[in-house]
Amino acid sequence: MKIKVVYFFFVASFFPLAASGEIFKIATISPDGLGWMSKLREGLEQIQVQTEERVIFKIYPGGVQGDDATVLRKMRIRQLNGGVFAAGSLTRFFPDLQVYNLPLQFRSYNEVDFVRAQIDSYISNGLQNAGIKTFAFTETGFAYLLANESVTSLKDLRKLKAWIPDNDPIAAELIKSFDVSPIPLNITDVLPALQTGMINAVVGPPSVVLALQWHNHLSHLMNLPLVYIYSMLAMDMKAYSRVSAADQETVENILDDVFELVGQDARLDNEKALQALKGIGITFVEPSNKAEWQEAADLSVKKLMESGEISEEAVNRYLLLLKNFRSMQND
Amino acid sequence: MLSTLLLSGCSNLFSGVASQLADGLSESILSSSDIETVREGVPAFLLLIDGLLKSGAETTELLVSAADLNGSFSVLVEDKDRLKILSAKAMRYSDQAACVASSQLCGARQLAFSEYETVVASLSSKDLLVAYSLGTSWVGRLQANSDDWAVISELNRAKLLMEKVVELDETYQNGRAHLYLGGIETLLPKLMGGRPEKGKKHFERAIEIEERFLLSKVIFAEQYARLVFDQQLHDRLLEEVLAADPIAGEFTLTNQIAKKRATILLEGSKDYF
Repeated sequence: MKIKVVYFFFVASFFPLAASGEIFKIATISPDGLGWMSKLREGLEQIQVQTEERVIFKIYPGGVQGDDATVLRKMRIRQLNGGVFAAGSLTRFFPDLQVYNLPLQFRSYNEVDFVRAQIDSYISNGLQNAGIKTFAFTETGFAYLLANESVTSLKDLRKLKAWIPDNDPIAAELIKSFDVSPIPLNITDVLPALQTGMINAVVGPPSVVLALQWHNHLSHLMNLPLVYIYSMLAMDMKAYSRVSAADQETVENILDDVFELVGQDARLDNEKALQALKGIGITFVEPSNKAEWQEAADLSVKKLMESGEISEEAVNRYLLLLKNFRSMQND
Repeated sequence: MLSTLLLSGCSNLFSGVASQLADGLSESILSSSDIETVREGVPAFLLLIDGLLKSGAETTELLVSAADLNGSFSVLVEDKDRLKILSAKAMRYSDQAACVASSQLCGARQLAFSEYETVVASLSSKDLLVAYSLGTSWVGRLQANSDDWAVISELNRAKLLMEKVVELDETYQNGRAHLYLGGIETLLPKLMGGRPEKGKKHFERAIEIEERFLLSKVIFAEQYARLVFDQQLHDRLLEEVLAADPIAGEFTLTNQIAKKRATILLEGSKDYF
């Protein structure tokens, strides 16, 4: 499953220099000035100093290099060589990376931490084998369903006019698994669509809902984390391989630290945003029958496996880890 | 940089009843080319105006002046906690001003969004003074509390108010509402839901309305040109600012700040682009 992360992804590229170093050009849709961008810039400066300018990164912020699909296209023709993407955008390189995005499987951040400690390397290795170098994955957070009316059951859900990002067929499949007819829209059009009533529900991380001011047209949040979203800096392996092993180690150490920190901040931020939604008067409602939601979600996971969109092996390993964690909690 | 805009708001300072006590003070602050003197001197006037209000001189004009002065001074303050205090004070005075003026905006900030929209839609030109004051104080509050999601959630309310000011009189306060709107529309890139091209139009209109106000070009460069990665526009705007005469009556102080910022941005242009 692929969910477009609206909050942060960026694009990178490497241009070999005739001289001694590599200039790695990174673009992002994030504007300069966001907290995580400052952290990234600091990290990139450290890399430049510690590698004595053999490795230099240049950032192109604000989406000037285009969206994920455009960036991937530019990577293919070597105009760009990488970027930070919503994990789902890299599905074609390694479909099993969708395992974290499976709906209604993760129920808490403790579960996320336990499972990710054991599966992250499987995903990064899978991507590396497909020619994509990644660094520490960054959490975007849990996405929730928000609507302009109370939604507690699947029956309620099916009455909604729910938005999904356009050009996102897997998200479309997912929402269809709940028997909902989604309305695909560009993210820029979501606010006007909420204002006019063209849509009356969205699924997104609380911080995104607030940052884009969607909350003014929504009244209820279903207090059930629907899907876990994450992102990553991904670079073309061939370009990255031009860097010496010693410099690669420097780059990895610094960038892993940066993205770990960014992920921790994002988690805190989302928790604060969730509380803020409650504070400004959004009504939190509990699902009336969690089992029916779980059943529908499990069915969609099964369909994904059957269609070959994700391997049975990855899903089973993931589910086993979750089961083990839950039984440890119950002991 | 958007916050520097607040500084220009203190042209209302000491207008109305209390103006007899400090006639010309507003003009002398804004006409000053000495930023440090203003930074050191303004706190005394903050205390003075607080005192006037406590002594019962609660007129709309004085409350708006108090909001302006607190908001304006926050531009010259770097301490984050102090910024929050100043912006909260400015907001409180603007809220009070709306109530003293018997404007429908009194208490409107707390309404549900749809009700708030109705109130803003019903405003007329007699509400301009308090609407603009509330709008500017609100932007100051948003900037001082950019780490607080509950405050960020208010962004579109402040924007709506500024849009109403533009609708009622786009030249009010030298077209400053256009500049605020330009800043708000360029907070996010298009791919993240922002509307940079709409922001560009606001910036261009603000410059058309008052070209001597150099801050407009600096904010245009920093917010829009950097966002869309237009180095040519960025550098041209900033070079124009550096080449311009900063001495321009009530714009002088802000122009000095604009020039300082333009120098920093231009120096960083090569690294950024």
